[in-house]
Amino acid sequence: MTAATEPRSARPRRPPRSLTGPLALLVFAAITWWAASEDFGLNFDVPRLFTNLTRGAGILAEFWPPNFDILPRTVGPMLETIQMAIIASLIGCALALPIAFLASRVTSPNLATYLIDRGVLSVVRALPDVLYALIFVAALSIGPLPGILALILFNIAVVAKLLSETVDGVDRGPIEAARAAGANRLLTVRWAVLPQVLPNYVAYSLYAFELNIRASAVLGIVGAGGIGNLISEFRRFFQYGNLTVVVIEILALVIIVEWASIWLRRRLV
Amino acid sequence: MTTATGRPYRPSQRTKHVATALVVLVVAWAALSIDVKIERLPGLPAALARIFGRMFLEPSPEWSYFPTAFGYMLESIQIAWLGTIIGAILSLPLAFFGAKNITSALVSNVIRQLLNAIRAVPEILVAVVIFIPMVGLGAYPGMLAIGVHSVGTLGKLSAEVIEGINPGPVEAVRAAGGRPLQIQRWGVLPQVLPEIVAFWLYRFEINIRASAILGAVGAGGVGEALVQSLQFRRYDRAGMLIIVIIVVTILIDTASGWLRRRIIEGGSGGTTAPELEDRAHLSMAIAGATGGDVGGDGDGGG
Repeated sequence: MTAATEPRSARPRRPPRSLTGPLALLVFAAITWWAASEDFGLNFDVPRLFTNLTRGAGILAEFWPPNFDILPRTVGPMLETIQMAIIASLIGCALALPIAFLASRVTSPNLATYLIDRGVLSVVRALPDVLYALIFVAALSIGPLPGILALILFNIAVVAKLLSETVDGVDRGPIEAARAAGANRLLTVRWAVLPQVLPNYVAYSLYAFELNIRASAVLGIVGAGGIGNLISEFRRFFQYGNLTVVVIEILALVIIVEWASIWLRRRLV
Repeated sequence: MTTATGRPYRPSQRTKHVATALVVLVVAWAALSIDVKIERLPGLPAALARIFGRMFLEPSPEWSYFPTAFGYMLESIQIAWLGTIIGAILSLPLAFFGAKNITSALVSNVIRQLLNAIRAVPEILVAVVIFIPMVGLGAYPGMLAIGVHSVGTLGKLSAEVIEGINPGPVEAVRAAGGRPLQIQRWGVLPQVLPEIVAFWLYRFEINIRASAILGAVGAGGVGEALVQSLQFRRYDRAGMLIIVIIVVTILIDTASGWLRRRIIEGGSGGTTAPELEDRAHLSMAIAGATGGDVGGDGDGGG
């Protein structure tokens, strides 16, 4: 079949065995054992897992049929979820723009700003959105406001990180041209860098909006507004039929937003 | 719009204006109709200062609580680790079936849609709706929820890696008389494994954050302790827990990032530039966006 024919005896030598592979496997096995063990870890046990799952399968039957009578009650919280995501995306993405420029070596005015911005960003990114929601709920009590604030932080973390990496990779030519024409730093960013990264910025913002929709749907579980409030109410009272309705709605919302966003991004980028 | 000196016409701005108007309308609707109790906002700095003061300054973070806090964090790491393994095991075969160059277009599309659907449900919801009712509160449902949710992303990313293989080795194995499974094992797997393992590690980093919060719904780990300490206004303990979460997360991110770079560089199929690797999967996580022009057909289904 293949045209290339090789002399039969010229079999290449096996490369010497390296220790890295077996060593990595050993470390992997050790961590897994630690995580799964009875004494140090979660006491993970596959047969018991399956008995648990089969025993629990009966409860899943209670999720059906969905109780669609609940639908009118979900409209308000659902809209609130969408509104939270929209407001937070707008504010968060707007704030992310200057933060991203300060976090790139290309556009940051000096090393100190760059390092500080990077450091703050990596701390912000280390904490999950729900945790911010918890803190803001503690500060402002429950409602959509703490949820929006948490989402704003989350947006900044995602968009600024992605955008600063895009800025790192821009074509330097226009920057030199702008400098040569006497532009100051701000003007250079505005006319030489921003036009290059704008499509990416819009794409990242849309992507962040998708993530926001998902996140704002669950933030209510910790009291930060939106449809999540209903989730925690229904699960507290074991109203699984109602829960099914909410889950279907969230799924539909997430998928619709994702399609719309992908379609838009295709057109933009 | 001067055309006097033969200057070219400005391209039509209509789409841009319509889009701007739409965005403004939607935002105005959202901002005006939501009941956010904005009057509470001015109190935020004071409230945050009070909370953070009590977390980190006033009685100073409670160092005696450190071992307990660290223990909770370890539990979160274990949940993330085992959850990632579950996700990796389940996603690998799905990725092969979801790759267009391995199976038919029909099968790969069905699998891709399934993966998309899984990705659409946040893990916290999976935990609340499926696994906590099934197996009760604790670390188990958290681990299972993380595992199931990871399948969505891991399957999609791995399938994309498989679609990008060099067909040469596959042809070689086929020419040597390899059976279908042997073709996958010797023609495909060695090419894609480094990158897929890098994705597993990356997912592990994400799952640590996820497992840190799953406790908020009673699914074990550091989140549970945090929610309780915030509820009972033990801010000193909450502060300790937050410090532990931040430090451990950043440490693991750094270690895992280093490892990923090594795997991609040292691996047999290391075609990507080392520093680009990070960006590569970020842009892939962004689906049809930046990579859309190149691999746009990659997820033509959705």
